[in-house]
Amino acid sequence: MQGGAKEKRFFRSDLGLVATFCLAALVMSWISYALPRFLPGDFVTATYGASQVTLTAQEEAALRADQEPQGGFGHYLWRLARFDWGYSYVFNTPVSVLFLGALPWTLLLMGSAHIISMVIGFVAGVEAAWRRNSAIEKGMVGGMTVLEGIPEICTGVILLFVFALQLQWFPTAGAETAYGEPGFLGHMADVVRHLALPLGTLVLAYFPGNFLLTRNSMVMVIMADYINTARAKGLPPLRIRYVHAARNALLPVVNRFGIRLAFMITGALVVERINSYPGVGTLLYNAIAARDLPVIQMVVLMSSLIILAVFFALEWAYRIIDPRIRHAR
Amino acid sequence: MWFFFAKVAPVEEVPVNHTKNRIVIFFRVLILMLSSLFLFSSGVWAKDPAKEIRIADGKGDWGYPNAFQHYPRGPGYLRMAMVFDTLVWKDANGNIPALAKNWRYDPESLRFIFQLQEGVLWHDGKPFTADDVVFTIDYFKKHPYQWVPLGKVAGAERLGLHSVSIQLKEPYAPFMAYVGGTMPILPRHIWEKVDDPKRYQDPNAFIGTGPYRFVDFDSTKGTYLFEANKDYYLGKPVVDRVIYIKAKNPLMALLSHKADLVNIKPDMAAHLKKKGMVILTSPRGWNKKLMINHKKSPLNDKRFRKALAYAINQQEIIDKAHRGFGSPASFGLLSPDHVFYNPDTPQYPHNPEKARKILASLGYQENEKGFMEKNGTPLRLEVLISNITVAGESMADRDGEVLKKQLENVGISVDLVNLEQATADAKVRNWEFDLAVTGHGGLLGDAMTLERMISPRVAGSVNSARYGANRELLELLDAQMTEMNEEKRKAIVYEIQRIYADELPAISLYYPVSMAAYNPEKGIAWYYTKGGIALGIPIAQNKMALIE
Repeated sequence: MQGGAKEKRFFRSDLGLVATFCLAALVMSWISYALPRFLPGDFVTATYGASQVTLTAQEEAALRADQEPQGGFGHYLWRLARFDWGYSYVFNTPVSVLFLGALPWTLLLMGSAHIISMVIGFVAGVEAAWRRNSAIEKGMVGGMTVLEGIPEICTGVILLFVFALQLQWFPTAGAETAYGEPGFLGHMADVVRHLALPLGTLVLAYFPGNFLLTRNSMVMVIMADYINTARAKGLPPLRIRYVHAARNALLPVVNRFGIRLAFMITGALVVERINSYPGVGTLLYNAIAARDLPVIQMVVLMSSLIILAVFFALEWAYRIIDPRIRHAR
Repeated sequence: MWFFFAKVAPVEEVPVNHTKNRIVIFFRVLILMLSSLFLFSSGVWAKDPAKEIRIADGKGDWGYPNAFQHYPRGPGYLRMAMVFDTLVWKDANGNIPALAKNWRYDPESLRFIFQLQEGVLWHDGKPFTADDVVFTIDYFKKHPYQWVPLGKVAGAERLGLHSVSIQLKEPYAPFMAYVGGTMPILPRHIWEKVDDPKRYQDPNAFIGTGPYRFVDFDSTKGTYLFEANKDYYLGKPVVDRVIYIKAKNPLMALLSHKADLVNIKPDMAAHLKKKGMVILTSPRGWNKKLMINHKKSPLNDKRFRKALAYAINQQEIIDKAHRGFGSPASFGLLSPDHVFYNPDTPQYPHNPEKARKILASLGYQENEKGFMEKNGTPLRLEVLISNITVAGESMADRDGEVLKKQLENVGISVDLVNLEQATADAKVRNWEFDLAVTGHGGLLGDAMTLERMISPRVAGSVNSARYGANRELLELLDAQMTEMNEEKRKAIVYEIQRIYADELPAISLYYPVSMAAYNPEKGIAWYYTKGGIALGIPIAQNKMALIE
């Protein structure tokens, strides 16, 4: 009997969660629909405004008639439901083609940045906590706190200046040499070389946070009694550090990783811009400059929906991991 | 994640310093791997120098290269022109035959008669005939190509397999520059089946008769690939592949051999020359211009605009904002390098005293802060500034700051507003501004540019003064469009420049020094085209430089 009530409550709260996220998704859709329309100027002005070509009033009206979005918000939702993202004003290609063309580059950049900064940050954090109060640890904490405060735009430009312009080790822009056709290995190397600077910028931006978070939670963990027990048993330090202690310090880092993952698309905007990296951020930037409404709408919508989806998944995962959340009232 | 560490657990029995060694070894291996990748990539594709040419600019993306999709600015047209040929083209010395062998105008019947090249093939192997030209005119009448207005053209008629006549409604002086020299000819067998040319993206949409075939365009990367059309009727292209890339730093791109032809800032020229690059300097075909909201008081008063002209020191803007790389602009809009330039165009040599006197005569008095005011209302103007510059590039400069100083020097207080390009453009377009600094080219091409940059019939351009307050000016603008006699047309254009400079619906500020640099090792000698490419594009990327 009691079990049934529990089940029911569980079901109802789950339903509530789903409903909340659906509502949020709807609001996001409306924002993506309405917000870009408030941009001053439109596609015709952005394209022909400063061009070699001048338009008469009729020509301008004819061009504008071509771009008039049909239907209202309802129509927009209906198109979304049918996965019809519309055509880019600028390229007259389906928006989905543009989006899916840019997405892999952003995923490559952001994915590798997150994984590298998490692994390095975690290991460095554990090692630093283990050497608590040593000069190295103090120096690292200080240094990382400073680094955490420097924005990507700053590190990005400095890296570009030093390694691309001065030392000329890495290319200044792009994701690969255009139409290089150097064979598979050469192509991979080319991609890595182009990736190096934007990736370095992002790793420098994300690494300190991971480091500080790991170090802080690790410091709490290593004071626990069971660590002393493990030491007393005479276990090797590396085993204590990683198998006993770090496992428990890992949770907040994974949590942070998840949240960061949600900002996968938008997080790269600044860095993609600095390094002319052809990802979703660049796509959005160009679309805004050209007032390419359908592209702006879809990039904004997709990035917000991805954030929602990740949060939803995290919320769901918490409920399973930690029953206290599920029963909290 | 933790199980990853659990798996390495057996190894940890070793003492700590050994693990340290392992970490050091790991990083050494990593560095070794990365540096080998690095070495790999640098020398892999050192191609035959003549086989491939790379042209870079700062924006990269200029739309798909056909008439219906390229962006309406010079670089967009040039990419399209690699694939599509016109009836007539220009090289370093002037007009040359392209798809038309020769042509003549019959003033009696208002017809242009073109004899077309024989044996020309489209990229898909079909023969090019007079039908394609007739079709192109009809098709562009239905689906306008903004670069070539066809309002004055009645239609086209096939006279033979390789002969065509184009009928005008009335005399139309810019005909050869626009319809002859700018309009791309489309293949009838492809486009006759296409109802919505803007959405048409089949590979067939890029079938032309030009020296290069279109292979690829990547919009996000801003890169284009063209391959030589070995059957090109005007000669064999000397380079197999032409690649356009986006490069934010053209100097770097050129020196690191990533690009072979780039636009450069003038102060890089000396350095590049030392490195063996060839530097080209453009004739003055592009101006930075002060747009004036002449519909709004006090700017609607010609005398007030003259005060502005006297207040502005063109040379100082060039010196302070461009380190001297530029030359003062004519107040009559056409470039001094134009064949129709009127050397007697009124001038406004910098004279702040005169500016103050004019303002005083308009009822302005200086207040205690040193600014002009009228009936207690201070004279305050807003100046929009943008980063637009020659050859489709954008560059931040200090024109606005210098201008502000100069206007404040005669008592006009100025709010400088730096807006994102499209926002500023929208404001200018909708007359929601006082003054705006913008810029445009076309000052070397056909004098029709005067009509486009002055006439109030032009609605959507940020660069056009759209000035209708002077009847005589409007009549002359119309008259020069229909005057087929070159000398008579020149006289009308002289008069237009004189009146324009007197009315000052907008004030041309200066012509920036515009330069391109290329690597001569590739064996191609680039040049700036006389009068600009097609309708006057001041960019050193003429496709004829690539033909044997």
